[in-house]
Amino acid sequence: MSTAASYLSAVKAADARARARGETPVATPALSFSSSVTTSSEDTILDDGEVVSSDALSYPTIPPTSEQVFSTVHTEFGHCANAEYRYTSQHPAGTPVKPHIEQDPPYYVLFTTYVSYIILILFGHVRDFTRKYFNPGEFKHLIPHDGYAPITSDFDSFYTRRLKARIDDCFSYPVTGVAGRTIVLNERKSKDYNRTFYSTGRKVRALNISSYNYLGFAQARGGCADAVEESIRRYGVSACGTRLEGGSLDLHAQAEALVARFIGQEDALICSMGFATNSTIIPALVGKGCLVVSDELNHASIRFGVRLSGANVRMFKHNDMNALEDLLKEAISQGQPKTHRPWKKILIIVEGLFSMEGTMTNLPVLLELKKKYKFYLFIDEAHSVGALGPHGRGVADYFGVDPRSIDILMGTFTKSFGAAGGYISGSKAVVDRIRVRSHSHAYAEAMTPPVLTQIIASMASIMGVAPALPTHGSTGTITKGRIVEQESPEPYPGRAPASILPSWMDLPPAMREGTEGRDRLRRLAFNSRYLSRALEKLGFIVYGHDDSPIVPLLIFNPGKMALFHRLMLQSNTPIVIVVVAYPATPLVTSRVRFCVSAAHTKADIDVVLKACDWIGDVLDLKHAPGERWSLEKITSNAVELVRMESQKHA
Amino acid sequence: MSSAMASTSANLEPLFSFLSTSYATLEQTFNRIPGSAVIARYVKSSHQNDPGRTLLELFLAAFAIWTLLQSRTRADKDDRHFIKFTEKEIDELVNEWTPEPLAEPLSPEEQKELESVPVIVGAQGPRPKLNTGKTVLNFTGTNFTGLAGNEGIKEKAIETLRKYGLGSCGPPGFYGTVDVHVQLEHDIADFLGTEDAILYAQGYSTISSVIPAFAKRGDIIVADRGVNFAIQKGIQISRSTVRWFDHNDLKSLEDVLQGIAKERKKKKAPLTKMFIVTEGIFEKDGVMTDLPKLIELKYKYKYRLILDESISFGSVGRTGRGLTELFNVPASQVDMLVGSVANGLASCGGFCAGSKYVVYHQRINSSAFVFSASMPPLLSVSASEGVNILRNTPSILSTLQENIRTVRGILDKLDCITIPSHPASAMIHIYIRTPTPTLQIPTGSGKPSNPTSIHPRDPPTFDIETEERLLQDVVDEALAQGVLITRARRLRGQEMVEARPSIRLAVSAAFSKKECEKAANVVKAALVKVLGKRR
Repeated sequence: MSTAASYLSAVKAADARARARGETPVATPALSFSSSVTTSSEDTILDDGEVVSSDALSYPTIPPTSEQVFSTVHTEFGHCANAEYRYTSQHPAGTPVKPHIEQDPPYYVLFTTYVSYIILILFGHVRDFTRKYFNPGEFKHLIPHDGYAPITSDFDSFYTRRLKARIDDCFSYPVTGVAGRTIVLNERKSKDYNRTFYSTGRKVRALNISSYNYLGFAQARGGCADAVEESIRRYGVSACGTRLEGGSLDLHAQAEALVARFIGQEDALICSMGFATNSTIIPALVGKGCLVVSDELNHASIRFGVRLSGANVRMFKHNDMNALEDLLKEAISQGQPKTHRPWKKILIIVEGLFSMEGTMTNLPVLLELKKKYKFYLFIDEAHSVGALGPHGRGVADYFGVDPRSIDILMGTFTKSFGAAGGYISGSKAVVDRIRVRSHSHAYAEAMTPPVLTQIIASMASIMGVAPALPTHGSTGTITKGRIVEQESPEPYPGRAPASILPSWMDLPPAMREGTEGRDRLRRLAFNSRYLSRALEKLGFIVYGHDDSPIVPLLIFNPGKMALFHRLMLQSNTPIVIVVVAYPATPLVTSRVRFCVSAAHTKADIDVVLKACDWIGDVLDLKHAPGERWSLEKITSNAVELVRMESQKHA
Repeated sequence: MSSAMASTSANLEPLFSFLSTSYATLEQTFNRIPGSAVIARYVKSSHQNDPGRTLLELFLAAFAIWTLLQSRTRADKDDRHFIKFTEKEIDELVNEWTPEPLAEPLSPEEQKELESVPVIVGAQGPRPKLNTGKTVLNFTGTNFTGLAGNEGIKEKAIETLRKYGLGSCGPPGFYGTVDVHVQLEHDIADFLGTEDAILYAQGYSTISSVIPAFAKRGDIIVADRGVNFAIQKGIQISRSTVRWFDHNDLKSLEDVLQGIAKERKKKKAPLTKMFIVTEGIFEKDGVMTDLPKLIELKYKYKYRLILDESISFGSVGRTGRGLTELFNVPASQVDMLVGSVANGLASCGGFCAGSKYVVYHQRINSSAFVFSASMPPLLSVSASEGVNILRNTPSILSTLQENIRTVRGILDKLDCITIPSHPASAMIHIYIRTPTPTLQIPTGSGKPSNPTSIHPRDPPTFDIETEERLLQDVVDEALAQGVLITRARRLRGQEMVEARPSIRLAVSAAFSKKECEKAANVVKAALVKVLGKRR
């Protein structure tokens, strides 16, 4: 591992060579971080004095050669020049989708898990009982007082108080700075067993394999951030008002046109919050007399929206297409409950990539079923858009399916695009209907200009812009809030027509050409596959699809969750992880959920693997059957491992 | 034949031996279990004494298992409404079924409605440019305090961008709690004078998530008949028992509260959570709640108060703290004070301020908080800076109130309209005055409305279609004169009670007195022109 000093001297040498070639750093803020220009490479290493940071996080293991130019800050977006560490996220054409088989742990693990929960619950009740007698003040807010019922009863809050509170140090960790490849923790400690936390004042940089930063667009430097800065100067930070009542900006129309082009649908609309995209728009699509068929593991926002809509709901077993078909047969033949009238319409809602499982929806089979059963299909691509497919366009792209064969594609900008909010795309008729009927369009604040700009810039850089160099001021005319394009656009999945981008937006060449975006997609695909397969080879039980950037590692025992979290945080290179347990998952299958990013380098994944390997031995987590590889074998054969034919689902 | 038999039995030989060995191991294992002898003895003796009893016990065990399994299968199949079909019939039914289209294409009127939405090119603010190329005075934006476009806020936002990037890339539980969020929560709580506050990523979704976080099935919500759509949705999700009181009529509220108390006493109902849900300044018509009286009632009948200050926070009070400042009521007396960061501080998102426990409870139980990414850090810092500016510049609010007075002074005199809004409300709604004043005269016997229904006993009558059309003409006329105003857009057919069509002016502190006079006169002239023609 290189030290800071040796790294910096290498960087200085590279700089000197670049200067000798006569390239001078350009001062324009919009260009100074573009990839084609050698900037002072010291810019790519942040010097944050007060933050405790290990060298492995601040400096790349291999210093750059004079040919390699990195424009990103290494702590935000890792430097990785090895073209071998790239892959394409794509379903092999012509092969059926293999069903995902969840591996079961040995019985003693299940047994001890149940016993742990029983012990936890018993202890909780004993403590509740004794505390109520000896320290009633602590329960004041949980028992009726002065004629008021408590906000939560002691029974309802039992799980939170007696189980979750024990591992509260794993949740809601306060952070600062960019949630990129690394993240800075504002260190906290507790003196009273997690009831209260105090800040130690120390700032610790940790490897971040938890944020939904799939394509690594969480950056404070670079083309997107430059565009956002420009937009703040031009537009301010607020759109002031709802979309229908004067809060519509030209940027909204531009972003919506771009989203429709990106997804490959006729039209799209944007909502200022991801959760609200589902919760306020599903009621605009279905109502009384309609049936919603929903995957049992769908996100809370979908359930919220369906409940508001007043439609009937039926759930089917997670990703089980046979169960779905049986349910459809029953629903259509029986009709509405009691009256037996035919359903007005049936809407199937699934997620493209499930956020807790890492499983992918079986799109080809769904589309087959759709032909026969004539339902409408709504896919929530919150996690899959940007993260899957050779062009980053989501599950449709991954399976090589025409996106227009899916009625509604919904997604969020929080994850892959490093922004906020969500979108809905579909045919023009559907989207227009949503515009006049959805709750958020009429009553919720419109999306703010900086967020819109981040979306436009990041999306355009994934797509590439055509023609590459537009003449300034050739913006498509906006008529009644819609963009009318001047030239005929490239077919899906083509580049973004320059005419629909804001004329003032100046993206660096690597982003305009789409090379940077492609690189991000291919790095993410490699990292996802590498982590998931390597963990399996180490012997862990891993759920989900190989190509999923969400990699859940099963822990089972509740006690091991917190320990896993703490050990990762205390390892040589601190790593922050997310642990999820009941009620987000079934009781026994507590897990760690890694969210891989394009910002990670292969060395970062190795760091994670090394830590997991050790902790896995300590905590006895390696229960998967099948061939095992040693850590050395895995890290030195990463490329082979990633390119291997899939065996897991056979 | 016999050789076949022999070969079959030879084939089955390993099976038999397997069965016998497994039986032996089973017996051994059973004997090894501590206490197994007792069970064996019990079964033996019970069988000896009474073979019928063994049968009964077996039957009972089978029944227990059957019942257990029963609860896991779907109830519908055994429903008397379930019809059994053959595969062929099912296929036919599937083939026959034709669904309605997912969405009807827009009607020409709806198309027009959508196209009448103004689009601003460039920065939002008091004097924006429209896509028609025209620069207008903007009375639609909820930029009450005039913070939109503030240079100091822009600088802070850019500074934050360069340190934090744009998105937070995670929900608050998973590394989405950035220090600037904690700072804004602290700033808001401190500004209002509550123990704590919690931030949501969207103003609209705040209240519709806060209500179901506290009110559950079996709890009681007493709500105003005129509450906004977000509150209606929050109440719907909560599945609580709802009672309604007449719009902004605290006498009616007290009657309803008394009625509930009486009813509960009679039924000896167990203690449940009880909430009053209402707005500070109503989004629908700009009417203001009498907060001191409301607080008095809440304490008297032991209710918790959920107050939506989405419009009033940042527009009334000496420094914009909202109703609590205006009426000089400690904000801590409002149990859940919900406000909009998007409206009041010209950023995005919403907040709920309250006691430490109220806030803590939401951090675990409020779905729009738990399941949503936190707001972008730079917007959070912008809002913090907004709080700072409001705190240090009381002149903003006095200018705003002065501007409101100017506008009202001109419009109040007009006799073709009525203005329901409170004189201090920065959101001014304008109704068309109906030729026959049916609105105010109670036709009934003056009996109170039924509290279980959201509809009042004597609902006001108005012709939505005509009024909307007339008001749109007024909007177009004003726009032609360079003043951007809007009709209050409503989701007709989805609201629980149809709101009366209105024009909604949003006054901002960023206007000069002259501009307010000009705009009000333009609106007045447009109203006179369009409504005068009508008669």
